[in-house]
Amino acid sequence: MTSFQSTLGEDEGIAEELAENQQAISIAEFFEKNKHMLGFDSGARGLVTAVKEAVDNALDATEEAGIAPDIYVEIAEAGNYYKLVVEDNGPGITKEQIPRVFGKLLYGSRFHAREQKRGQQGIGISAAVLYSQLTSGKPAKITSRTQGSADAQYFELIVDTDDNEPEIRSERTTSWDRPHGTRIELEMEANMRARNQLHDYIKHTAVVNPHARVELREPGLDEPLKFERGTDQLPAKTEEIRPHPHGVELGTLLKMLDATESYSVSGFLQSEFTRVGGKTASKVCDRFRDNHFGRAVAWTTPNPHDEADIEDALVDAVANKSAEATAWFAERVAETVGDRERIAHHELATIVDNLADAAEEEFDETFGSTVRKNAVDAAWTELTRSDLLTASLYDRIDDATSTRKDDAAVQGLAERLADKFAEADDPRHRATRDGLAAYVDRSADRVEEAEDATFGETARENVVEAIWTHMRTVPDDLPKVTSIADDRDTASELLEAMRETDILAPPTDCLSPITADLVEAGLRKEFDADFYAAATRDAEVHGGDPFIVEAGIAYGSDLEHEGSVDVMRFANRVPLVYQRGACAITDVVKGIGWRNYGLDQPGGSGLPSGPAVVMVHVASTNVPFTSESKDAVANVPEIEDEIELAIREAARELKSYLNRRRSLEKRRKKQDVLGRILPEMADKLAAVTGRERPNIDGALGRIMNNVIVDRTVEDGTVTLAVRNHSERKETLDVTDIVDAAPTAVSDGASVVDLDDEWFVQWSPSVSAGETATLTYEVGEHTTFDIDVEGVENEKLTVNA
Amino acid sequence: MSTQDERARQQLIDLAAEFYDQFARGEVPEMTLPTRTKSNIEYDEESGVWVYGDRTSTRSANSVRGARKLLKATYTIDFLARQLEESRSSTLRELYYISESWEADEAAFSDQDESNQMIEDLEIVSEVTREDFHMRPEESGATLMGPLELREQTRRGERDIHCQEDVGEGGYQIPNNPDTIDFLDHDIDFILCVETGGMRDRLVENGFDTDYNALIVHLKGQPARATRRITKRLHDELDLPVVVFTDGDPWSYRIYGSVAYGSIKSAHLSEHLATPEARFVGIQPADIVEYDLPTDPLADSDVNALESELDDPRFMTDYWEEQIELQLDIGKKAEQQALASRGLDFVTDEYLPTRLGEMGVL
Repeated sequence: MTSFQSTLGEDEGIAEELAENQQAISIAEFFEKNKHMLGFDSGARGLVTAVKEAVDNALDATEEAGIAPDIYVEIAEAGNYYKLVVEDNGPGITKEQIPRVFGKLLYGSRFHAREQKRGQQGIGISAAVLYSQLTSGKPAKITSRTQGSADAQYFELIVDTDDNEPEIRSERTTSWDRPHGTRIELEMEANMRARNQLHDYIKHTAVVNPHARVELREPGLDEPLKFERGTDQLPAKTEEIRPHPHGVELGTLLKMLDATESYSVSGFLQSEFTRVGGKTASKVCDRFRDNHFGRAVAWTTPNPHDEADIEDALVDAVANKSAEATAWFAERVAETVGDRERIAHHELATIVDNLADAAEEEFDETFGSTVRKNAVDAAWTELTRSDLLTASLYDRIDDATSTRKDDAAVQGLAERLADKFAEADDPRHRATRDGLAAYVDRSADRVEEAEDATFGETARENVVEAIWTHMRTVPDDLPKVTSIADDRDTASELLEAMRETDILAPPTDCLSPITADLVEAGLRKEFDADFYAAATRDAEVHGGDPFIVEAGIAYGSDLEHEGSVDVMRFANRVPLVYQRGACAITDVVKGIGWRNYGLDQPGGSGLPSGPAVVMVHVASTNVPFTSESKDAVANVPEIEDEIELAIREAARELKSYLNRRRSLEKRRKKQDVLGRILPEMADKLAAVTGRERPNIDGALGRIMNNVIVDRTVEDGTVTLAVRNHSERKETLDVTDIVDAAPTAVSDGASVVDLDDEWFVQWSPSVSAGETATLTYEVGEHTTFDIDVEGVENEKLTVNA
Repeated sequence: MSTQDERARQQLIDLAAEFYDQFARGEVPEMTLPTRTKSNIEYDEESGVWVYGDRTSTRSANSVRGARKLLKATYTIDFLARQLEESRSSTLRELYYISESWEADEAAFSDQDESNQMIEDLEIVSEVTREDFHMRPEESGATLMGPLELREQTRRGERDIHCQEDVGEGGYQIPNNPDTIDFLDHDIDFILCVETGGMRDRLVENGFDTDYNALIVHLKGQPARATRRITKRLHDELDLPVVVFTDGDPWSYRIYGSVAYGSIKSAHLSEHLATPEARFVGIQPADIVEYDLPTDPLADSDVNALESELDDPRFMTDYWEEQIELQLDIGKKAEQQALASRGLDFVTDEYLPTRLGEMGVL
């Protein structure tokens, strides 16, 4: 720096010289230098990011067209490079759009839309194209065919980094076996070190998109990795919504003010925002008035004997009118004012106006604007005598502060505050909330000095609040939209008013949650587990953007038993595979006390361990990511709260499953031990008493609270006794399969004949401690095969 | 097999049959026993001994623990029934080891406390004493010495024994089951139960048994069941007064208590074992003061034991309250042998004649 300083005097052209080197850089050029910001920081990662961008686009395109996605991903070695091909069965892209979609950064349809989509900025796929051309020098090869067109369009293009425009290297029509869809082929410098992340990405995509069919081929796979559709149900179509007043920022607001065709603030609010109708708009307008003009103090009106003073003052003020009219006018104004408990300046003006009009009519005299103004001023002066102001403020302050406040201090504060209003430039006694707070602060400081009293922050705040609520919103006309658009301060007052007003949460049809059922279906499809649970929360709002959080848990069986559970993170149905540690989802999972839910958690915090998978999906019109590469959800408290609630909801189901499993486990163990001990005991008893071995099933069933089904056959009558030793009513399905036609079947049975086998089925409900008897008759020499459902195997003993 | 053995065996088999029937009825086998704790001991006015109260606990096959207990009970019943059939006997400790070889692994006892307790349980439910099961404790019984002639059923036939003339200095060894003894003839005036071996030897050496026609029963600390049983029989059958001579400390008062009133563990047999008419000779706390005996100070545990005896319904008599409070007051305890400080003959020439005279025994 010093070297510049020293030369400044000698050469005044230094700034110009520097300016020559200063120029706009195109976004493409910027990206070229900052690849990492978009997730292209290494060859391994670049490949995964390119796949991700292409697949995200393909899914968005197919869903938008209402087509069940069928996506094909191929990675192949091509000399020193890798070739990536992604194909979809989407609606295709028109010939005109192809170059811009793939060859221009920040070109897209969704950046301005409030709608849940995977892609948002319109950077992703063109960034992949750019990355490929930068590393391999080869253009991207795009093939696209729109529905119904005879041929497909083929392009070879690159991004011209100087001006961020597509540069077409080759263009022709071609034939393609897909009736519609898009195919992109990129060649890039890459490696397969991130194979796990790639597989995770594809697999996780299949989990949250159970309606999609995805196929992956890559050099390391002998067989292509295929994920079949788990449902034909496409995600609900999302609706685009207008912005929510709580969600816009000042810059956006200015831009919207500039672009709107509305003339008034109220009209602007109602036409440009979601959830704003006439009522909400007028609430916002009132807040805006308060911010813009300030509120007017409504002073307590004087006692009746003071009314005469007002009347006298009015009489003095009204010059050159007949004594009769003057007296009539003065008396009525004083009376009307006296009838009110409190009065603000603009209210007084209205009263004067109305009665002046009435007087004009009554006496056929003119009460001109000067007369009226004089009348208002005169009455206002009487109404705002400093003792009246002080008394009025004293009441407010006394109400707002604790009873222990010294009376002298309250009085002192009231007096000083009254002075502040009296001294103010604006005789109408208006103040914004901030202005009022400044009055109170200054007055309180004085009182603290003079009276040795304290007015803490809370006390001051309470005083401000008490006075503010007794101030009146003024009826002045708001500035017009055009003038607000030019005035940043006023616009900021409007924005403040929008944020302060309670407004209904935005509608949620702009969101497309996977839904709990499909979360579970997705988990079932891709993980072989013993237990699945899923939860979808209701929509919430963060910064004007609605969002929905969903969580799912799979547990047991083939899942990895060693180490931490897998956490799968999703934002708008896109798997997040990088920056796990920086993600709010991971933080929330770590913060939950998993031991409460039956999972191990070494140290009581951090990732739980055990054979489980936890998945979390955050769907929003604007998912807050930590960076442009969209790898991690930012730590937004509202979203974290919902993530936690969603996980806990699913975890509660896990807990009851695990508890149940443990109690069945205990039960199985008990049954095992007793199943060994009691027969030994029975054998010994038989030996000691010299009798036959006793039947211990009844005792065992009773001990285990089991349901026991016994068969006895006597003279061709089959009896099935269903004894319920449990402590609750059991409902079960008993199906007996016999190879001869049964007759005289007891009540409630259905008999189905299938190829000379008869299925006799009952569905008895047996109360605790009761026995249901099911009978039928059948010829001799039949075989039986019984099947009992509706009771866990651990609780069932079948002797039939 | 004797009829007594036959009865014992039948009782055991009936118990097994009860379990059998419970199974056959589809019920959960269970065995109900009185709760064997101090709080469930009641004084039986009629017999003057302490017996179990009304509280019971149930061993049920409902739980794995209970089922194991019943399996062990069944195996033990089988073992005892066979032992009676074969006219054999075994010790409590042997039972513990024998259980190791039973075919059901889970029937084996995990320690000897468990097997001892099982035998006590079976005594209670079958109303047959351990001795009638032919179960012996480990240690041999105590001894007695005095002008008594008896007939004992031994494995080698009947033996007539005079407990002064036919025995050595050690005296007559009380068999494990004193019910096999018949009393033939005697010249006894009273029965003197003595806590320690040293004092017993002193009395024998000084010829106390011959001089006073006393039957000296050695208690050997807490008396074994056989010792208590024979004392009870001598008292009941020969109508002889019983006195108990122990150290002067709280533990010794409990020895007297178990002779006179019965113990908690065998409260089901109190009517069979306790001699409520037995009286306490000493050493009394009053003796410590009167004879100025050499003493040890009371330890904390002694004080606690004395205080808990004040709460023990068995010791709630004017006599005991007075003595215990005196002892707490002086804070001292004395052994029987402390009397030797007055000379070796003091106990036989002075102390016992005086005390027994006061008590009206002499």
